[in-house]
Amino acid sequence: MLLAYIISGLVIMGFMLLRFFAPARRADYLNSLAIAQSAIFLILSIASLIYIPQPSFFFSRYLMIDQLAVYGALISCGIFLLASFYARGYVRRLVELHDIEVRELRLFYAAYNLLLIVVVFAFYCNNLALFWILLELTTILSAVLIVTLNAKENIVAALKYVFTASTAMLFSIIGLIILFALTKQATGVGTLNWDVLMQQAASMSPRLFTFAFVFIFIGFAAKAGIVPFHTWLPQAHAKAPSVISVLLSAVLLNIGIFGVLRLYAVAHQTAAWHDVSLILIGFGVLTIAVAALSMLPRGNVKKLVAFSSIEHMGFLLVGIGLGTPLALFWVLFHILAHALVKTLLFFSAGILHQQYHSNQFEDMKDVFTLQPLAAWGLIVGSMAIIGVPIFPVFLSKLNILTELADYSLPVLFIILLCFLIVAAAFAVILIRTIPQTGEIKHEPYRVSVSMKLPIMFLFAGIVILGVYFPGGLHNMLVGIVNSLGF
Amino acid sequence: MINLPVLDDITKILFVLVLATAALIITIRTLTSLLNIYSIQSWVIAAVAFVLYLKNGSIVLLLLAILTIASKAFLVPFVMRRIQKSMHIKRDLEFRYLTPIGSILVGTAMIFLVYWSFSQFLPELSSETMFFPGAVIGVSLALMGMMVIFTRKQMITKILGYLTMENGVLLFSLFVAELPFIIELLIILDLVMLIVLATVLAFGIDTSIDEFHDKLNSFTLWFKE
Repeated sequence: MLLAYIISGLVIMGFMLLRFFAPARRADYLNSLAIAQSAIFLILSIASLIYIPQPSFFFSRYLMIDQLAVYGALISCGIFLLASFYARGYVRRLVELHDIEVRELRLFYAAYNLLLIVVVFAFYCNNLALFWILLELTTILSAVLIVTLNAKENIVAALKYVFTASTAMLFSIIGLIILFALTKQATGVGTLNWDVLMQQAASMSPRLFTFAFVFIFIGFAAKAGIVPFHTWLPQAHAKAPSVISVLLSAVLLNIGIFGVLRLYAVAHQTAAWHDVSLILIGFGVLTIAVAALSMLPRGNVKKLVAFSSIEHMGFLLVGIGLGTPLALFWVLFHILAHALVKTLLFFSAGILHQQYHSNQFEDMKDVFTLQPLAAWGLIVGSMAIIGVPIFPVFLSKLNILTELADYSLPVLFIILLCFLIVAAAFAVILIRTIPQTGEIKHEPYRVSVSMKLPIMFLFAGIVILGVYFPGGLHNMLVGIVNSLGF
Repeated sequence: MINLPVLDDITKILFVLVLATAALIITIRTLTSLLNIYSIQSWVIAAVAFVLYLKNGSIVLLLLAILTIASKAFLVPFVMRRIQKSMHIKRDLEFRYLTPIGSILVGTAMIFLVYWSFSQFLPELSSETMFFPGAVIGVSLALMGMMVIFTRKQMITKILGYLTMENGVLLFSLFVAELPFIIELLIILDLVMLIVLATVLAFGIDTSIDEFHDKLNSFTLWFKE
């Protein structure tokens, strides 16, 4: 099964190298390949869910397919598929505007497809060191995707990203080495395989495990945009082309959170798990607070949405730290809900940017006449992301907060206050932007069907998921929570 | 397996050399000498790996020593020199927050801090004589590299700071536990790619966007027109 991923991925990369088409047609040709790969990967992931017994191990147990891994892969492949459709119209427009040169397209799409391969395999990692390597590769590839745009600020943003993420990731190696030495001490054979760690955790020294956990956590947290390692995130999300912002926010941040989740599952088997919970909740609350306070003065759509990603990652961390089966169930659901809503928001922001050539709210005049779909996307997305009922984020927020009430009321109040600030930030911006009118400087930009379709799909998906909880999803999430040992 | 006390002494001398190169990296301003010192530091760390190999006989350590020399003493400095030549920057005069003397003092304080905090935890892990100082010096070196990243302004210097961090982590891993070879190999490949990318990006900041995209494409030959 995993070979099928690799082979199809390589075949499509091979097609990318072929030079069939004249430069004028190249954008569409490469995009079709990207759509094909995302679709194949999505089908393969669904097939792994149905046909592969879970957990199964591959390549001398370095890789593993279990329900958590498939869940992550399914979300990522779905988002990649939507993003590939969206990219068809979006990148064509970028080429017309000379925001991206035709000669960069091949590099852009090669990095795009490689990123998908790396992301899927990162989810399928059983070995934490291999996971670390793939995580680092996602940094490299997404940095390449950010700098293919023709702007110097993008290079600055990418460098900041590469430096912050990889500096923090070096601390992770230190932690992984300590963890490896710990297992060696406990069993005589060192290992970083997650399934073995789960079994051996009880025999490890809790003090040393916490020590290792803190080091590993620094790196994963930086990849997930947790304060104080979040400094790269707003700039990278804002400067990247919107289709890449989607991948950064809805796919790559998740990998960091999945890493923390797996590590926390190991911690849960040791005597150290109360300390570890405290660390996670502490960082989570700090993250939510810093993100909420940074959101109020924002005038840039994409920065606002980027800070909202930071806030949600903090919230996920709090949910994980609670460590009850119910909280984890809703954390997993929140990951899906957040990914869908963030995709909608960034897709809309991308259309608005192509209309106004700016991400600033004050430049967006007559949004409803010029870009009704994107305007609705922004409104619905904002409502969904702050947790208004009938949207899925509401369900997960409500349930995690209920669990939090049992843990600590003061923490609950702090978080509620922060959520209020976040909601105010979104409301202020929307109320100021929507009625803005003025002379129209730019021609109305005709959004292509390939960009509209994913947005409509997301509208439908978000509303359906908000009011109807599919039984299959429920069983899957329960299965994951059980397999994590809760 | 050779178990001579002299090997421990050699390791100690090499530790001193590592610290000396670290002190130079946090204070020197000329970029070319920074690069040279970095490659010397990589040689020293490879030597540590080799001495440990003589002591333990673990083949992974020997391979690691060879890999370190190939990647960190030759490949990375080579790529960086090539790109730096086209960048017209020779010296990095700006120190933010810290002067060179201040950096040395902070660096020393870091070693004590790491020593103190590790003495609470790590000794449970192994009874090897050189294990503890190796781990402490490795992590201190990594922290000093991080200090370079934060206090210097030039991108190339920052990259050298990052490389120093990597060397520190490598040193730490030599003494605490060597991961399976395939993993070590992949990690090193990953880091080399990261450095090349960061260097190309740093080049992009100092030149025009067109030149940058030429360079970016020349490192991805397959996708070149």
